[in-house]
Amino acid sequence: MEKIPEWMTRPESYDPPKDRDRFIDKSILSFMGMLSKIKQQGRNSKDLLWVSPFFKLVFTLFYIVLICISGHFTFVYIMFALIVVILATLPADYIKSVLKGALVAALFTYLILIPSAATGNRYSITMIPVKVFSCISAVNILSLTTRWDHLIASLKRFFVPNLFIFIFDIMIKYVVLLGEFALQMLYALKLRSVGKNRSKYGSIGGVGGMLFVKSNAMSHEMFNAMECRGFDGTYHITNHFTFTVYDALGLLLNGGILWLFLYFQKLA
Amino acid sequence: MHIPDNYLSPATCAVMAAAMVPVWAVAIKKVHKELPKEKLPELGIFAALSFLMMMFNVPLPGGTTGHAVGGTLAAIVLGPWAACLSTTIALLVQALLFGDGGILSFGANCFNMAFVLPFVGYYIYKFIKERTKSKTGTVVSEFVGSYFGINVAALCAAIEFGIQPYIAHTAAGVPKYCPYTLSVSIPAMCIPHLAVAGFVEALFTVLILAFVRKVDPDLVEEKPQKKTKGIWGLLLGLIALTPIGLLASGTAWGEWGAEELQGITGYTPQGISHGFEWKALLPDYSVSGIPEVAGYIISAILGVAILLIFFKLLGGRTKKDSGSSNSQNSTSAAQS
Repeated sequence: MEKIPEWMTRPESYDPPKDRDRFIDKSILSFMGMLSKIKQQGRNSKDLLWVSPFFKLVFTLFYIVLICISGHFTFVYIMFALIVVILATLPADYIKSVLKGALVAALFTYLILIPSAATGNRYSITMIPVKVFSCISAVNILSLTTRWDHLIASLKRFFVPNLFIFIFDIMIKYVVLLGEFALQMLYALKLRSVGKNRSKYGSIGGVGGMLFVKSNAMSHEMFNAMECRGFDGTYHITNHFTFTVYDALGLLLNGGILWLFLYFQKLA
Repeated sequence: MHIPDNYLSPATCAVMAAAMVPVWAVAIKKVHKELPKEKLPELGIFAALSFLMMMFNVPLPGGTTGHAVGGTLAAIVLGPWAACLSTTIALLVQALLFGDGGILSFGANCFNMAFVLPFVGYYIYKFIKERTKSKTGTVVSEFVGSYFGINVAALCAAIEFGIQPYIAHTAAGVPKYCPYTLSVSIPAMCIPHLAVAGFVEALFTVLILAFVRKVDPDLVEEKPQKKTKGIWGLLLGLIALTPIGLLASGTAWGEWGAEELQGITGYTPQGISHGFEWKALLPDYSVSGIPEVAGYIISAILGVAILLIFFKLLGGRTKKDSGSSNSQNSTSAAQS
């Protein structure tokens, strides 16, 4: 029997020098966060909150406009309460996602308004963080409870050109495909980054550059596939518009909110 | 640089959105005209690419990181109009689906990041590149274009923030939206962009283009085009805007004179009171005997002219370099 070479039996202790490669971890986290958000909403087979996507989009824009214009504390707090009540009807993981984004933005706003409050401006620090929280929560609720393809289709009713909707639609699909590709490259970079990486800029340029080359290849493949299926350069969007009893109830509720807004505007 | 809702007044948001409508209309028209129909699907994929580019973290000295917008990169690769469309859609997805950047402030965000950034970055890049034919010139043009693109966009965002206290306040004069005036908003936005974000954007653009040029040069090779004239309009516009500086009542952060420093800190450091004082040709950008606004404009014209001379000299030198290397090549070819 062959003897094991002496160099193989020798204990080896390789202690790679430490390096600051947080850019890889942070890039991985950004991509993972984005992909998990897309996949989370992709799991829903139907929309939550009953109201149809078009009206959900209209109501969200309506809330944001009213909150932004209003200068009365009471109205802003009523809207804050309404959005928190809607949030409370959602599953726990949805609530967590909504709160994460909204609280960070509200806290950041609060911090940057401290110097202004120190000089006696109490209005901004009490109003703007609450408004920021309410608006971001409203958008996050819309995005989490509505299938994005339904949301994109409902843009058609806002007279958004077909070319925009076409790009929007392709974009969402390719964000996932290219995002997963970028994530794999970042994992590979992380695994190969042992010890000191002396060409960090080369690494990030390589990952970004490969993503560009890949996107170009994908776009050629996509065009070929579309041409095979008879794509002639024009893109038509079919309009499925439904009006449910929940939409009617929503309109009624929002009529009341508009009345409240006008009432408090007179007092402001 | 993504402005959330409630930082800008609805009136500002409406004006910015209205300003973007003709830009989008022209962009759609140009893209339809310039891009063949079979290339339309590429726009969606490039919009996805623009979106993903904003997610990369670029390493900075000291172990920290920063993220780029990639607007100039998109403009160099796709052309500024297609970059405008793809960045607009990337911003819409961020605002509507990811809650990043406001819905009402979408027009303002598009103005800054989908219009000002790619166009300023692209035309500066083009202006320098056309005058410096060497490889170094290309890298310099990409770097300078990206750096100035993001900084001019940040300045626009700062102006949008800074005008809020003047145009939207309560009956008691309390600002209803961003409470900080131009004298605070401009340094607060511009200093971090000039010091860090501009370099991140520039590095990101240069690194990616260098990689792509190495592995697949055809993807970033530009067709020969007419020399850019639009830059003159941009320069004239920027020169006309320079008197905005007069709105800022204070001195720029860190540019205090000995007397101002005495007022701020209560004493004048010895090194400053006995230090060297530079007598500028045009102190405080003013020219004696003429109004302050005219003085600002003359200083801006002079500054631009000096920079033009610098780039022309750089261009002339690099042309001579490439000319002499070409003649050397032809001589060696003839010898062989």
